[in-house]
Amino acid sequence: MVTSINIGHLQIGSDVTRFITSRIVRTVLTVFAVLSLAFVLARLAGDPVRLMLPQEATQADVDAMRATLGLDRPLWEQYATFLAAAARGDLGDSIRQGAPAVDLVIERLPATLELAVVSFAIGLALAIAIAVAGELSRSQRVRNAMLWIATTRQAIPPYLFGILMILVFSVWLGVLPAMGRTSYASYVLPVLTIATFEVALYLRLLNQEFAQSREQDFVRTALAKGASRARVVIRHQLPNALLPLITVAGINLGVLVGGLVVLETVFNWPGLGRLIVQGVEQRDYPIVQAGVVVIAVVFVLINLIVDMLYAVLDPRVRIAR
Amino acid sequence: MTAIAMPRGAAARAREMGSALRRSAPSTHVALAFLTIVLVLAVVVPVLPGIDPYGQDLGASMRAPFSDGAHLLGTDQLGRDVLSRLALATRMSLLIAVGAVAVSAVIGLLVGLVAGYRGGRLDAFLMAVGDVQLAIPVVLLLIVMVAALGSSPMLLIVLLGLTNWVAYGRVVRAMVMSLREREFVTAAVSAGASATWVVRHHLLRNVLPQVMILSAFQIGVVITIESSLSFIGLGIQPPTPSLGLMINEGQRHLQTDPSLTILPALAVFLLIAGTQFLSQGLERTRAR
Repeated sequence: MVTSINIGHLQIGSDVTRFITSRIVRTVLTVFAVLSLAFVLARLAGDPVRLMLPQEATQADVDAMRATLGLDRPLWEQYATFLAAAARGDLGDSIRQGAPAVDLVIERLPATLELAVVSFAIGLALAIAIAVAGELSRSQRVRNAMLWIATTRQAIPPYLFGILMILVFSVWLGVLPAMGRTSYASYVLPVLTIATFEVALYLRLLNQEFAQSREQDFVRTALAKGASRARVVIRHQLPNALLPLITVAGINLGVLVGGLVVLETVFNWPGLGRLIVQGVEQRDYPIVQAGVVVIAVVFVLINLIVDMLYAVLDPRVRIAR
Repeated sequence: MTAIAMPRGAAARAREMGSALRRSAPSTHVALAFLTIVLVLAVVVPVLPGIDPYGQDLGASMRAPFSDGAHLLGTDQLGRDVLSRLALATRMSLLIAVGAVAVSAVIGLLVGLVAGYRGGRLDAFLMAVGDVQLAIPVVLLLIVMVAALGSSPMLLIVLLGLTNWVAYGRVVRAMVMSLREREFVTAAVSAGASATWVVRHHLLRNVLPQVMILSAFQIGVVITIESSLSFIGLGIQPPTPSLGLMINEGQRHLQTDPSLTILPALAVFLLIAGTQFLSQGLERTRAR
């Protein structure tokens, strides 16, 4: 699905180079699109000057402020200035805190990335373990039950699942902390929330892949040669299911990031999502803008790396494109 | 004659529907049960007498469900009737989701038809636009948009529609590309049929069922996003009730009255699960 972009006229070197070049072009285009959108939206959001100045400011104060911010310049010039500043890593100052918005955002980035990476890894491992167990059970009923549970889990948005976890484990049972990032125990609920959401997403795919390979010659041959079921599933069927899994994981990373941004509010997690939502509440648009741009850039770079991994792992990408 | 024929026709139709239902996948049955509850809540409850989502009564705040005859599902922190608010919020979520899905289905259908049928550079361009759009997490995109532009229900429908068309575009394009090569299309083309004729008589008819299945699924996706936005204060603005905001307000009273959270949570779950099971059931019935 992801491999369908066609920048066919770029005939550079081998197919792998061409594939990777097209991905880099797309990455640059995407970052450019995000920045342009942020610029347009910032202009549509209304005049920031009135928000920045005290109520009793005179028209002269407003004009002076507009001149300092370059808002009296023609639009294309503002756009060029904005892009140039963004290239230097400057996305304006926070209206409420005065500090450069990007600095405030970078400060919060580790907490978010940490949560994302840990949940992603645990979710992926859980999905694989459960799918392998289902395949080894050799029971369609067990597999169907797993799929029903997965679909049910998928119908609960992460923020909602997080609240229900707090209700059960913090309010009713009182065994786990509900808020903040103070101890290892405070990781359990948010990680569990994201990880189970992922399991739900990938279980269906892994099941389909296993069902397809179950009937194929390489599986039958391996079984005929006396390999154990476990060995066949883990050494033969699983590797074949990993490539589609990477593709779908790459596509769903966006859903995961979106869920995470909202989830941080539920657990009062001191990450980027919490910062963005606070920015919205305090009408601090530069913070919202910088937060979204930084997450989008990190996200796009991760996708680029996944694509490159894909090109290295899958020989068909080298030949087909 | 007609007086006799009519009930017979109706009975036959009812039998037909009954047998269609028996043949359908189990997920369809679950979906229908869930969606019936949701539809009663969204369509029937708001027109019942005594439904008032805005009236505050601080003397009767935080009543538990089923404890007060006047407020079947209890009252919130301002003494507003929870059932009334739940019904209106569910209706609003459903309206926004259906509207947004309609917008994205139309955009995706047009893009997919043009890209798949024309091919070439236009196709490459449209798909590249889709790729770029998919490369940015939708929730983030919506957060900056709504923070800048505001969030009236109409605007939410448009923004949610604009950010969710790519799935349709890709599915329709892939189907059109394979249909284009089939005999009934090449025959029509060689007989002199225009592109619009082929699209209207052959392509649309074959693509629409899949678009419907995808739409059922997308309603769940859009409700997930919309309720998340409302939850962080970026969706429907108070005092208009919305499920996300009710959950946000309920979370503050999780210790004392969890029903304020659980009831809207249940509505969100029934909406999303209902549409997703429906989409799965339709897919399976179609595959048979």
